[in-house]
Amino acid sequence: MLVLVLGDLHIPHRCSSLPAKFKKLLVPGRIHHILATGNICTKESYDYLKSLANDVHIVRGDFDENLTYPEQKVVTVGQFRIGLCHGHQVVPRGDPEALALIQRQLDVDILITGHTYKFEAYEHGNKFYINPGSATGAFNPLDTNVVPSFVLMDIQSTSVVTYVYQLIGDEVKVERIEYKKI
Amino acid sequence: MYPWSSSSYGGQVPSAVNARTMPNGLDDQEKLLAEAIGAARKQAFHMNHFLDKERMLDSLKCASTMLSELRTSLLSPKSYYELYMAVTNELCHLELYLSEKSDKKTDLYELVQYSHTIVPRLYLLITVGIVYIKNDSTLKRSILKDLVEMCRGVQHPLRGLFLRNYLLQCTRNILPDVMVAENEHEGNVYDAIDFVLTNFAEMNKLWVRMQHQGHSSEKTRREKEREELKILVGTNLVRLSQLESATLETYQRLILPGILEQVVSCRDAIAQEYLMECIIQVFPDEFHLQTLDPFLKSCAQLETGVNVKNIIISLIERLAAYNQRSGKTSGNAIDAIIPAEVELFEVFSVQVANIVQTRMDMPLEDTISLQVALLSLAQKVYPDRVDYVDKVLGTTAQILQRMNMNNISHLLSVNQELSRLLRICIDFYNNALTIIQLHNFCPLLEKFDYTSRKSLALYLVMNILDNETTVPTADQADSLLTIITPLIKDDETNKESAAAAGNTSPDAEEFAEEQGVVARFIHLMRSAEPDMQYKMLQTARKHLGNGGGQRLKHVLPPLVFAAYQLAFKYKAIAEQDENWDKKCQKIVQYCHSTISALAKADLADLALRLYLQGALVIGEIGYTNHETVAYEFMTQAFSLYEDEISDSKAQLAAITLIMSTFEQMSCFGEENAEPLRTNCALAASKLLKKPDQCRGVVACAALFWSGKQNGEEMRDEKRTLDCLKKGARIASQCLDTGVQVQLYVELLNHYLFYFERGNSLITVAMLNQLIAKVNEELPNLEPSEETKQIESHYKNTLAHIRSRMESNDSTLEVSFAGITLN
Repeated sequence: MLVLVLGDLHIPHRCSSLPAKFKKLLVPGRIHHILATGNICTKESYDYLKSLANDVHIVRGDFDENLTYPEQKVVTVGQFRIGLCHGHQVVPRGDPEALALIQRQLDVDILITGHTYKFEAYEHGNKFYINPGSATGAFNPLDTNVVPSFVLMDIQSTSVVTYVYQLIGDEVKVERIEYKKI
Repeated sequence: MYPWSSSSYGGQVPSAVNARTMPNGLDDQEKLLAEAIGAARKQAFHMNHFLDKERMLDSLKCASTMLSELRTSLLSPKSYYELYMAVTNELCHLELYLSEKSDKKTDLYELVQYSHTIVPRLYLLITVGIVYIKNDSTLKRSILKDLVEMCRGVQHPLRGLFLRNYLLQCTRNILPDVMVAENEHEGNVYDAIDFVLTNFAEMNKLWVRMQHQGHSSEKTRREKEREELKILVGTNLVRLSQLESATLETYQRLILPGILEQVVSCRDAIAQEYLMECIIQVFPDEFHLQTLDPFLKSCAQLETGVNVKNIIISLIERLAAYNQRSGKTSGNAIDAIIPAEVELFEVFSVQVANIVQTRMDMPLEDTISLQVALLSLAQKVYPDRVDYVDKVLGTTAQILQRMNMNNISHLLSVNQELSRLLRICIDFYNNALTIIQLHNFCPLLEKFDYTSRKSLALYLVMNILDNETTVPTADQADSLLTIITPLIKDDETNKESAAAAGNTSPDAEEFAEEQGVVARFIHLMRSAEPDMQYKMLQTARKHLGNGGGQRLKHVLPPLVFAAYQLAFKYKAIAEQDENWDKKCQKIVQYCHSTISALAKADLADLALRLYLQGALVIGEIGYTNHETVAYEFMTQAFSLYEDEISDSKAQLAAITLIMSTFEQMSCFGEENAEPLRTNCALAASKLLKKPDQCRGVVACAALFWSGKQNGEEMRDEKRTLDCLKKGARIASQCLDTGVQVQLYVELLNHYLFYFERGNSLITVAMLNQLIAKVNEELPNLEPSEETKQIESHYKNTLAHIRSRMESNDSTLEVSFAGITLN
């Protein structure tokens, strides 16, 4: 089961489009679910995600106008409960312990958040945390070197293989991280 | 045995005229054709029979009778053609026989003239004439001349056309095709040209005359019949094009003028249209290139009904294709293919203008289509000549000017052609920067109505986005933004009429999409030069600032973010640019005024977020005076929060954002930080709903803990705890026990968070107290989905505590000992 995880696009506020190299990789029909961490911003971006996969879950980012997006959401894929939250509500921003608070509240195996524009995937207290970064490499006042990135999760029965795609220079680099449920 | 005594149609001849005016039914035609072919076959049989017996005279008689069938007036062109094929097929046998036996020296040429009627006589004469020529080529010149003249004897259009077609077919392989003949009687290529041109002229006259025979009510049928016959006339031109000795010079001097003279003088639209097209198709491109002037001049003289547009477009397309085709095979530069002395574009340009001027009757759409063709010629043959393209646009604008066409409605069909003209330009270059080099693009665009200007503007911007065309200078940005004005502003010139037209408020979704496209475009205005970038932002701001709130919402935020990015760029080059500091101040001013424009347009939520982002940027860049300005940005955010945001959910979201932003900032001295902190705490405690208050106040704790004081984390244990305590107090005031327990569990987590971070004022006793409260209340909750969620939240919290208690991790700063979990 392939799950695309991405967010903080900020089109058209901060950039004009997804990197062309990413668009080439993201082809319709292969992805089963999309989990978006927010700041999708426009209906066009949403429609684009919809064209990649029918099952799209979005939480509200700080620059999302769409009031119908929830602040948090739990999605079950296979045997995993996956929590989704943009993360601008978390103080201090991106702090693993502060994120753990949300993990406990949502009672999830994997917590996905955004807002830091920096890819991260780590285990903490036997739970898995993913931040797909910004798929457009959107401008961020606190980090002037944002690397565009997104994540693909391949979910098998009790394990998740995470592939992170990063656009470094003009090349897409892929890394693989595995997480097993205990 | 002679046709006039034949019972098959002898009696019908006088009534032939009447018969022709009455359309024959299909069955009728089939029957007539079958009869005629039957009769012909019978004669053919006899003819062959006599030939076998070498009874020449008898066989000629039979041939004559057979050919008499072609005198009929009853058949439609299609049936007549079939009869003609059947008959001429049989004539081949005769010709073959005669060629073999010609040594007999009988004067056949004289003999066949005894045939009583002219049609059979001429067919036989041609057949025999060919045999003569084949036997003695010195007769060629005179016999050809004789035959083509004699054929004048048949003036009935259908019969004449087929007779002359027979002549053309028979002479196919024997036309003299040399410049100079060894024996002048054999003739040379000029005789051949003369022969075919004469035949062509006569055939064309016959063909044209068809139009004027019979009743006017049958015009459509007649035109259909003529359509079926046109290829017979066209074959003459094919034959001319097959003359290998005919050089370009001959074509220029004799062939083309001969054809054109006939075409123009026949004054028949159908003939003119077909024959001009024929010329284009049958003669080689190299010839066309050298004869554009006479050809196009003739185009101007054609009848009013002729679709000159199609003729010229056809020629242009052919030449453009020729250029591309040869360009590909040879791989050479363009001028190598089309001779430099042929100024293709100029010639077409002048002649098209001439045609437009002389042919007043031409519909405007066609005139524009001609310009489209001219444009595509310029682009295909001279891809580098932007001035050519510009000239076409200019001419088009002038044409519209002359006709006083303004505000051309998107509903008009001429609008489609005009739009096509501009779209072709956009598509061809795929580079908006080239488009702005076309000085006539804008003037032409201004001739359109608002709707079409907008859709063209959108087309251009989409092209920019698809090709990721970056705009490097302010002037270019200015030109492009001017072109896309209809997207940026409402229709000002026509406000009343637009309003009167039924108040059609544009589709909100479509509008948002358009504005989104403009917004994306802004990011492509990118210069490596920071100063230029700043100029560009100012230009864009000027253009985009007047679109009204609906548009500002979409197009101003990108400007603000682009400006923030630019400020970072200046910071990065601080060492090379001593004025970077001042420039940053200017940029921040620019952002401030842009954001306040948004705030004034009732976009408080958006403005608030942009102020907060700005505060972060200013804090990070740290130019002179940055603290005061960052403070100003924060207070702007606060006043928007206080004055403009009234929805409780939006309030909670806003204050949380203000707090989380402020928590990350380290640029403030205590005198600025303190009021902001207190204000946050105050605002949080004043939220409308208790649960919101509780969560807000608890979030505020972070300001006193990880919030910065003189660049260091503040770690104010007491005030952090105060916030938590206040949160607990507010939770205790909640009447809904479900919500209350949920808040207690959340509070427990926050207490734990600061406990683990080493806030020494938080004691195990406090944690135990919270745990006890939850333990007490949780079992009393009604079973529900919410309760289940609280239970698992609590369970996870306890599991977390347990794991900490069991952990031997020496890095833990605090002892979990003494926490009672049950």
